[in-house]
Amino acid sequence: MQNPFEVIPAEIYDVKQESPLIRTLSLKPEKPIEFQTGQFMELTIPGVGEAPFTPSTSHFVKDKMDITIMKTGFMTEYVHQAKVGDKVGLRGPFGTNYPLDKFEGKDLLILGGGCGLAPLRSLFLTLLDEVDRYRSITFLAGSKSPKDCIYKDAAAGWKKHPTVKFHRAVDVVPEGEKWDEDVGVVTVLLKKSEIDPANNPAVVCGPPVMMKFGTMDLLKMGYKEENIYLSMEKKMYCGHGQCRHCVMGEYYACKHGPVFPYAQIKDEEAIWE
Amino acid sequence: MLIKEQALLSFFEKCADGSVGAYSEVIVPILTEGQDGQTRLAPFSKEKTCILDGFRSVDPTKILYYMPREKVLPVETSNKKRIVAGVKACDVKAMQVLDTALAGEDFVDPVYQAWREDTVLISTDCSSTAPTCHCTILGGTPYAESGFDLNLSKLGDSYIIQTGSEKGEAFLKFLEKNADVQKSNDADVKAVQDNRKKMADQVAAQNKDLERSDNYPNLRKDMDKEWPVASETCVGCGACTNICPTCYCLILNDETKAQQFVKVRGYDSCQWHGYARVAGGDSPRPKMSQRFRNRYLCKFLFMQSNFNQLGCTGCGRCTEACAGNIDFRKVVKRIVDGVEMAVVD
Ligand code: SF4
Ligand code: SF4
Repeated sequence: MQNPFEVIPAEIYDVKQESPLIRTLSLKPEKPIEFQTGQFMELTIPGVGEAPFTPSTSHFVKDKMDITIMKTGFMTEYVHQAKVGDKVGLRGPFGTNYPLDKFEGKDLLILGGGCGLAPLRSLFLTLLDEVDRYRSITFLAGSKSPKDCIYKDAAAGWKKHPTVKFHRAVDVVPEGEKWDEDVGVVTVLLKKSEIDPANNPAVVCGPPVMMKFGTMDLLKMGYKEENIYLSMEKKMYCGHGQCRHCVMGEYYACKHGPVFPYAQIKDEEAIWE
Repeated sequence: MLIKEQALLSFFEKCADGSVGAYSEVIVPILTEGQDGQTRLAPFSKEKTCILDGFRSVDPTKILYYMPREKVLPVETSNKKRIVAGVKACDVKAMQVLDTALAGEDFVDPVYQAWREDTVLISTDCSSTAPTCHCTILGGTPYAESGFDLNLSKLGDSYIIQTGSEKGEAFLKFLEKNADVQKSNDADVKAVQDNRKKMADQVAAQNKDLERSDNYPNLRKDMDKEWPVASETCVGCGACTNICPTCYCLILNDETKAQQFVKVRGYDSCQWHGYARVAGGDSPRPKMSQRFRNRYLCKFLFMQSNFNQLGCTGCGRCTEACAGNIDFRKVVKRIVDGVEMAVVD
C-alpha cells in the first residue's frame, strides 16, 4: 500500500491576489492529480507545515490546480508570501465529493460566502464543463465588502451564461467603494431563487455562521434535509483518517466528508463550530 | 512446551550481545528503583532486573511501535529484528486496536507496520496487579488469549509456552535450537489455568466497588452537568492520552530541507486546546470539560463505532499518570450509572 504521507511536489506558476485577504495559487504538480470536485488536498509549504484546502479548479483539469486561500493564521501567512517559481507539496485527494449524479436534470442552488467560494468555484467550473447535464444552476455568492469579492474577472462571464444565474451580495459597502448589486448577508439572495425547493438539491459552503443560517433558511424554504449538501470545515490535519482531529462523533470529516448531506450529521454536536 | 526462566534470560542475553544473531534487540520490563514492582520498557541487560511477569509496565507497549517522534516521509526503517517480551494482556489488546486504526483497510502507517512486522511480541500472564488495573471491568483477563506471537505463563521457576501465530511458531523453533526447551505436561497446563483464575479474581476483587453497567451512551447524553464536576481538577496536561496504549492522535511536522520532503509525526492530545482548532481560531471544544469529555466518548463510543472495539483496555495508566488525581474508573461509573461518587483520589 502507498505511503499516505507521500507528497507530490508542485510548482507555483501563477499567484493572483483576489482580495486583500484572499489569494489564488496556480500550481503545476509533478504528476497529474485526479480528484472529484468537493474533495480536498493537503498543501505543504516546505519547512512550515501543511493544511487542507479544496482545489478551486474543475476536476476535468488534472495537470494544473488552483487553490484559493484566505489569510487566517500561521500557515496561511506563509502562503501569502509565496511567489511564482516556489516549490510546494500536495497530498491527496481526500474525502467525499459533490454527488454530481444526484444533481443531474435538477435545478441546483449553490450558496456560498467568503473563502467557502473556493470549493464552490471548483464545483461551478466542473458543472459548466458539462452544463447540459443540469436543468439550471443558481450560484449565490456573498462577501464582506466589494473589495473582498473574489474571482472578479470570471464573474463577469458567469453573469452572461444562459443556463446560469449568478448573484452576489456584500455585507457592507464602505464609503468610497462602488457596488451596484445586492447588499446584505448572502441569504438575502435566496429570495431571488425560483427553484422548487422540495425536489431540488442545494450546496452550502462558507464560514460556520453562514453555513448554519444558510441551512436553516433553506429548510424553512422547504428544502429537504437529505438534499442539502454541506462542505464541513474541520481540522482535517492528516487527511486520511489517522490523526482524529476532525472527528465529529462517529464521523471523520476527512473520510466520511467533507461533503455531507445535512441529514447525516444534523444530530452531531458542534457541527457549526 | 516449557522453558526455565534462567534459560530464557540467557537466551535474551545472547540475542542482545549478538551471539545468536537474528534478533538484534530485546526489549523487556526492567524493574525501577523503589517503586512497588513498577517496570519500564528498556533493552535487556544482565545488569538490570528483568521482570517478565508481574503487572503492566509504566509505559505502554505502543511507544515501541508508534514512537513519540518518528519520521514517516521518507520511510527509513531499520529492518532490525526485535523481541518485545513481557507484554501484558491489556497491551496486547491495545495493539489490536492500533492494528485496526493504523494498518486497516483505508490506509497503512508504513512505519508502524514495519515495526509490527520486524518484532516478535511475547506476552506474559500477570502475576500481580497495580492498584489501577481493571481489565476485568472491560471484559478482559489478566492473561492474553490472542494477539501474541508467543505467550508465557509462569510456573515456579519456568514458563509454559504457548504460540499464537505463524511468526510465533517459527520463533519457538529458533528458541528450541538455541535454548533448552522442554515438554510440558497436563498438570502444568492445569496449574496455569488455576493461576489465571486466581489472578482474574484478584483484579475483580480490587475493583468490586467500581463495577458498572456498559451503558456508555450515557457519557454522551450528559453535556454540561456532570462533566464540569468530574473534570474540576483536570489541568489539561495530556498525560492521560500520551500514556494510553490505544491513543494514537498525531501532529505532523514538516521538516523539509532543500529538495526532499520530510514529514515527522509526534503525539498530539485531544486534551490540548489547539487540537481541534480550525483556521480562524474556532474550536468545537473550547472548554476543558468538553475536551475531558471527548476522551471518554472516544474510548467508549467513537472507537467502538470506528473499529468495533472499545478504546479502553483497563490498564489504569491514565489514572496513575493524572496530574489532577482523577480516577478514570470513578468518572465512568459516576456518569454511566449516575452514581454520586468523588472522582479524585
Ligand atoms: S483509557 Fe486509561 S485505562 Fe483505558 S486503556 Fe487508556 S490508559 Fe488504560
Ligand atoms: S492526565 Fe488528568 S489532568 Fe492531565 S489532561 Fe488527563 S485528566 Fe486532565
